[in-house]
Amino acid sequence: MKVFLDFCMWFFGGAILFYMLFVIVSYCTMFVIAMLVMRKRYKLDPSEYDDAHIDAFYSKPVSLLVPAYNEEVGVVDTVYSLLNLRYPQTEIIIINDGSTDTTLQTVIEHFRMKPVDKIVRTNIPTKEVRQIYESEIYQNCILVDKENGGKADALNVGINVSQYPYFCSIDGDSILDEKSLLRVMKPIILSDGEVIAAGGNIRIANGAKMQLGSVTESRLSNNYLVIMQVIEYVRAFLMGRIALSKFNLVLIISGAFSVFSKEWAVEAGGYSTNIIGEDMELVVNIHRLIRKKKEKKRIEFVPDPVCWTEAPQTLGVLRNQRRRWHQGLFESLWKHKTMTFNPKYGLIGFIAFPYFWLVECLGPIVELAGYIYIVVAFFLGKIYYEVAFMLLLLFVIYGVIFSIASILFEAWTLNNYPKKRELLRMVLLSFTEIFWYRPLTLFWRCEGLIRFVLGKSDWGNMKRAGIAEKEESV
Amino acid sequence: MIGLSVSFLLKVIVVLLVILFLFTVYLLFQRRREIRFAETRDTFLQNYSLPWYNYLINDENFSIVLVPRGKAQVAAVEIIFSSYLKNILDEKVEQKIKEFSNLYLKEFYEKDLSSRRWSIRMNALYRIADFKIDELLNACQQFEKSKISEEENFQLLKIYSLFQPELFIEKIKELTVHYSESEYRRLFVLLEDDIFIRLFEDFDSWTKNIQFAAIDTAAVKRNMQYIDQLKQLLTHEVPEIQIRALKGLYEIGVIDEIDPYVPFVTSDMWEVRLMVAKIFKHVPLNYSYTYLEQLLEDENWWVRSQAAKTIAENKEGIAKLQQFMESSNDQYAIEMAQESVVRKQGNK
Repeated sequence: MKVFLDFCMWFFGGAILFYMLFVIVSYCTMFVIAMLVMRKRYKLDPSEYDDAHIDAFYSKPVSLLVPAYNEEVGVVDTVYSLLNLRYPQTEIIIINDGSTDTTLQTVIEHFRMKPVDKIVRTNIPTKEVRQIYESEIYQNCILVDKENGGKADALNVGINVSQYPYFCSIDGDSILDEKSLLRVMKPIILSDGEVIAAGGNIRIANGAKMQLGSVTESRLSNNYLVIMQVIEYVRAFLMGRIALSKFNLVLIISGAFSVFSKEWAVEAGGYSTNIIGEDMELVVNIHRLIRKKKEKKRIEFVPDPVCWTEAPQTLGVLRNQRRRWHQGLFESLWKHKTMTFNPKYGLIGFIAFPYFWLVECLGPIVELAGYIYIVVAFFLGKIYYEVAFMLLLLFVIYGVIFSIASILFEAWTLNNYPKKRELLRMVLLSFTEIFWYRPLTLFWRCEGLIRFVLGKSDWGNMKRAGIAEKEESV
Repeated sequence: MIGLSVSFLLKVIVVLLVILFLFTVYLLFQRRREIRFAETRDTFLQNYSLPWYNYLINDENFSIVLVPRGKAQVAAVEIIFSSYLKNILDEKVEQKIKEFSNLYLKEFYEKDLSSRRWSIRMNALYRIADFKIDELLNACQQFEKSKISEEENFQLLKIYSLFQPELFIEKIKELTVHYSESEYRRLFVLLEDDIFIRLFEDFDSWTKNIQFAAIDTAAVKRNMQYIDQLKQLLTHEVPEIQIRALKGLYEIGVIDEIDPYVPFVTSDMWEVRLMVAKIFKHVPLNYSYTYLEQLLEDENWWVRSQAAKTIAENKEGIAKLQQFMESSNDQYAIEMAQESVVRKQGNK
């Protein structure tokens, strides 16, 4: 028995150590790539660039899709924030997904919506559309009333109704910058259609000053849980998205604010209605299509902050969110498992998929096992102390060093947290991450995996627990 | 071995923490410098915005106190100039900004052009174009000889197009980098008519993106002299060029004869038929109706929809559509006509 236990401890200890080293090397590589990309833009005057595409002559028209299910409180503000966007040619399509509250009436009354007879091309099959309305005040504002079918179905209806070549999906509780759309469309416009989808950098708005639906001053929240999420977002952005985007390996662009070419999204079958992470699913389907058609197209991530979101402020809501994200991630990866190491899909098959499997999806299991190992080693006696200690040190590099490096680097390039006190608070809090926040999120993510394996899914519909719940993956 | 690894890892962590600590100190120091820079800039703005207004708008005499000293004050002047250039279209103001920049800002930007940082060089190129500092043209040409990025090259092209259009034409002929259509449009739209029209002289020698951008820019300039150029392209062998030319002619909105467009009604490409259905909006309905009726029964949804819209927008259009609904056997076409009629009547 002792020999078996001994073997297990050495084997697992070695495996976890090896895994952690692999993850640290991957993150380091991505961090260096992100540094090079971001450093180039340091001190560049952004106004010149933003203004260059303000004219319709240089840009491409976009349909803005707002799916709404029981959003009577927030929907009007969302539409106003869209009306405030600085972009030459847009249409706003609000899709009421069979709300049981007064969402429909609120929109009809507020924007003086009037029923119209409109023939809709069914590019993607959806639940039945009951009625289409047009605003008497804003010519470019349309309301579609449909039967309840979930967020993905609502977005598909929006795609069918839309008349422009690009569409942008927006979550009901996203807070947008007036330049959001300009920035996210920039790679599409500049690449002459080579970029067929783009998503932006999502920020946490808790604690920020807001006025008329836009963020006027970014301030750090006082809630430690929120600050940890701010750090987590920054790290995910620097150690993942930018590097993956550089090599056209992005598998997730946030559903909170992303633009797609309608032609490609329709051909990829639109949003899948039977899956939790419909945004990741669409991106993966488009990647498949690109390879199938052998075309030179790209999906890009824009480093500029384009959209603000409210982060969960309580453990309960955060747990739900993380559990769902992870279940969604596993579900999508599992569905497309044949793409992993498939030469047909090039780097997507050989780098992006293995990375998402090993680091993002199975990472929580190995990391949690690492934590358990440290605890077990403590009870089993001295001979395992050294392995456990090494693991702990790797966790420090992984959790503490990377977090601090990300915060500092971002503060340097983007000037987002300009106050000295806020910067130091974040740095100090990073030291505590491995003791409380990391184990908690690991545990919740593992819960998500278990729920997937058990086939549990009780949030198929677009059910939001309030403003703090978002459909976005870090 | 493990003992060695633990100590190695500890060393790595300590080294990294020291680096991060130093970086934090640097960052805090840098922040203080930035705050001081912003203070100087804002003080200048506060003190001299009014004198600048008086000089630029009220024609008051120039005073030497308006001249910036140091980078922070230059940043303040940049803000003042940019706000005037973006919000006021006045040749006199533009001229004053140009003269001032050529005299007092030239040296700052010339120095910035030799900066090691790409973003600083880019900002300088932006300002040279915005404030029309033509005395830096030679410096720009010199700068072009160094190893520059695509973005910098683009800004140089913009500068040439403003200060020396002949050189610009020469440079785009020799281009080795390919810019997007939207970027070429940004260049072409600034060109004077006599230079711009030269893009059509040797049309086939240009790359696809230049050709497309030239057609689209001609359309947006809405100048009658481009109608003939675009009409000539209707017979071009590349379908995309035909479609763009049709679109351009539609946007200019002056259709003097229907004959060149009739063959497109039976084109194999639906995009062409769609554009011709749009163009007929600028033709009296009694000339175009026969063709529009044909397009109303088209196999493509977009073409049918556009044909119905074009008819409905005409004064007698609704009556024609109602007549069509009674006589046609094509259910899809009838539905489309119906929608246009209802929409039109609803808008009244």
